[in-house]
Amino acid sequence: MPRRHAFPTALALLALASPAFGQLSGLDDSAEKAAKVAALIDKHLERSWKADGVRPAPAADDAEYLRRVSLDVIGRTPRVAEVRAFLADSSPDKRAAAVARLVQMPAHAGHFANQTRVDWLPGTLTDFRTMFQGNQFETWLRTQYARNTPADEVARKLVTAAVAVGQRGRTPANYEGPDADEKLSVAAYYQANDGKPETIASTVSRTFLGVKVECAQCHDHPFAPYTRDQFWQFAAFFGEFTPLSPTSPSFVGPLPPQADFNQISIPNTVKSVTAAFFDGTAPTWTLAKTPRDELAAWMTDRKNPYFARNAANRLWAQFFGLGLIDPVDEPGPENPPSHPELLDGLAAAYADCGFDTRVMVRGIAASRAYGLSSRQTHATQANPRRHARMSVRGLTGPQIYASFLAATGGKDRSVQNDYYTDEFRANKGLFNAMFGQAIGKPTESQTSILQSLMMMNGKPVARQTSVKDSDTLAAVCDAPFLTTEKRVETLFLAALGRPPTADERERFASSVDRAGKPDAKNEALADLFWVLLNSPEFLFNR
Amino acid sequence: MSLSRRGFLHAGAVSTTVSLSGWMGRLAAAEAAGKSPKRTKSVILIWLNGGPSTIDLWDVKAGHDNGGPTTEIRTPAEGLRISHLLPKLAAHGKDLAVLRGMSTKEGDHGRATYQMRTGQLPFGALQYPSLGALVSKELGDPTAETPNFISVAPQRFFNLDAYGPGFLGPKYAPLVIGENRSFNERGPVEYKAIDDGLKVDNLARADGVTADQAAGRLEMLRKMQDEFAAARPGAVAAGHLSAYDRSTRLMQSDAAKTFDLSTEDAKEREKYGKSFFGQGCLLARRLVEKGVPFVEVNHGFWDTHNQNFDALKPLAATLDQGFAALLADLKQRGLLDTTLVVCLGEFGRTPKINAGNGRDHYPNAWSAVLAGGGTKGGQAVGKTSADGTTVEDRPVSSIDLLATVCKIIGVDSDKQNMSNIGRPIRIVDRAAKPVTEVFA
Repeated sequence: MPRRHAFPTALALLALASPAFGQLSGLDDSAEKAAKVAALIDKHLERSWKADGVRPAPAADDAEYLRRVSLDVIGRTPRVAEVRAFLADSSPDKRAAAVARLVQMPAHAGHFANQTRVDWLPGTLTDFRTMFQGNQFETWLRTQYARNTPADEVARKLVTAAVAVGQRGRTPANYEGPDADEKLSVAAYYQANDGKPETIASTVSRTFLGVKVECAQCHDHPFAPYTRDQFWQFAAFFGEFTPLSPTSPSFVGPLPPQADFNQISIPNTVKSVTAAFFDGTAPTWTLAKTPRDELAAWMTDRKNPYFARNAANRLWAQFFGLGLIDPVDEPGPENPPSHPELLDGLAAAYADCGFDTRVMVRGIAASRAYGLSSRQTHATQANPRRHARMSVRGLTGPQIYASFLAATGGKDRSVQNDYYTDEFRANKGLFNAMFGQAIGKPTESQTSILQSLMMMNGKPVARQTSVKDSDTLAAVCDAPFLTTEKRVETLFLAALGRPPTADERERFASSVDRAGKPDAKNEALADLFWVLLNSPEFLFNR
Repeated sequence: MSLSRRGFLHAGAVSTTVSLSGWMGRLAAAEAAGKSPKRTKSVILIWLNGGPSTIDLWDVKAGHDNGGPTTEIRTPAEGLRISHLLPKLAAHGKDLAVLRGMSTKEGDHGRATYQMRTGQLPFGALQYPSLGALVSKELGDPTAETPNFISVAPQRFFNLDAYGPGFLGPKYAPLVIGENRSFNERGPVEYKAIDDGLKVDNLARADGVTADQAAGRLEMLRKMQDEFAAARPGAVAAGHLSAYDRSTRLMQSDAAKTFDLSTEDAKEREKYGKSFFGQGCLLARRLVEKGVPFVEVNHGFWDTHNQNFDALKPLAATLDQGFAALLADLKQRGLLDTTLVVCLGEFGRTPKINAGNGRDHYPNAWSAVLAGGGTKGGQAVGKTSADGTTVEDRPVSSIDLLATVCKIIGVDSDKQNMSNIGRPIRIVDRAAKPVTEVFA
């Protein structure tokens, strides 16, 4: 970045207010619902802390909270101006107001769409054969989150989508008309699952019901009450994709209402089964509703105990790094929920608000547990399942890259095509490849040698910590009206979203001043910026 | 960045490095005492991701409907025949011990991968370590410059945890290079692309950063890391510290040269083949030569549900060339007796050929191969039925296999490590019965 850009950057860094975090205009209906969700969480967790003799950590300070909630809701750390404005705001409801704004930002839809895709179709991140379909599907999800489509409606849209796989399928593929793009994007979900009933059924069961059934494909499920036959009965809801009989059967006579679209044959056996739910019930088949219609209706029915619990649990896991049931898709006697009543309560609340994801996000973010510091102040906080302090969590590649841009002055205009410079694209790919999409558990995120080498020596960080090339750093070094302490403070705000402690302020400012000549001072500031960008405080959510 | 431009490691630069870890001191002491550590055994794991059709590789059913077009060829070892798809390996028949009785229960890629690589099924909060982590903890020199567990071109998407250190902690995590590089190799790959794909990126300091400056930065960073780990104890903070420690050690060592395949003799490279797998095997040999106790090299993507026999031709050819060259090279350098090569995937494939002329997942009866490390080669252990569907003699489970590997390389598989749930866990479950037939 040429030097002439440094001054506007400096102004942005030092600005006291930002339009992004102004005053919230009045209370809305959602705020009330969200407050109830928060109260529910507080009630159950405070009860369990008391019962277990747990002493929860103190509340996170404003800077810690804003950084955390920004990463969780919009997928990036706050910029310097956003931090300054938030810290300067003295209104008592500023945390709730900030979250209410964050869920309306385009970056929120982008971040949630990415997280959901990672969750639902993880294979499409690495398998080049389905990567494109995964991207298409993520685009569709972004639209859903931008519109705040209710979670049950998203599930229904997916399960009943008019798709045909190849030449198969009872629903003709009609990818024309004004909603053609949407149809294509939804079809990508089926394509990414190979168009196979058993694969689609596994994904649907795992992602919408929270029950991983893949192993029951070959044998009875070891933990869950799921037999091999039940797996195939579930898969039979998608049986239209592998029809048992040719399209014009020679058989003449009265057909059952669904012909054989609700049946599937179990591979390597002579057995075929008819679609049934794994709670033992089955639809009353009519011609009016297809097997997939029946499945969608059963899944998202208010009385279905799996759907809302799974949706609430997955959202919880996204904000705490682990679910109330964890792993989120292996329920059963061996893996009970840590707080069963809380989980039931959250599920009911999610359903009661019409599966309004933004209400739940605001509720969780306003809870006491979410707002606790990640610093451990008592041994009883060590077990992360008690939620007595916030867990330190790994970030996905997109989160780290968006945060890196926020810290170094790069602009994440990924929604605007004109910012697709070669450098932007290359760096984005680099961060994604190196930090991946957090396939493992965020609370046990491990740093690899290659990740640390990239942060230490790689081009993006090297460039942004070079006085000659960097945007933010150059601005901090050049601004004539700043004291050394202010320069140090700005770098802390940019990289870590917090001002330095008194000790850090003193220590780093005096080391910069000791450097002597202006050039040497600038190099000392570059060293500090490098240290901050490599520190665990930057690389994790905490 | 090319590794040969690494001009940063000079005595002057190192002397300014501040208390990053005690490795320098320990190395110097070892050198002064004039003793090099005794050579222990190493393992090279050739992992065939996706589930190889072992009925077309190691346990051919020629003449039976289930055999398809695959035929058998002789090897120099009386009584061992393998697939016609592996002519170069057949020449090494006397070194190969084929376990034809592999029998497991998991037919899902993710669960089977976890089971074969950890000896356990994924279960609740327990994080079991991958074999490479277990072995490198037992055999690795903790002060070594080169990481003790190196994973070349892995495809970890079926089960990331199956490749990790689990409860042993981040110190035992693999150095992963060239992730997914061998996924879809078709035809020869240029050396340049391979060298770029398999190198360790970002090993040299950025341009314009002096050695003194780098040392000062690391010292400041260390203080922040320590403060962070003290305030927020846990695996994440510990992992960050450990990764920076190990990276710094690697940067300051000469070990990086080992990764630079461009310095290797062209004729040597040719023998291994122009593939990520072949060159990965060559890299494995170089690493083992330097004393790395566990290297895994992934090969291909073997999930041949459709058109199995067409798909196998290029897969088998690359495997044949790389694996055979590795055995020849190890032998010629006198390393074969101390290097155990293990070749398997997460399961085999259905003997019955499906409607798409492919084969599906089949854990019930399949094969794995051992070579070197002092194993008794030239034999097939165990037997499957004429149609290949069941094991009739000498069934081998996942833990039996892992215990066999431990025994061969001199690791006590009964040893216990403390797990993340506060319960000690043995390296391999006690129910394991090692395959004694392969012990020399």
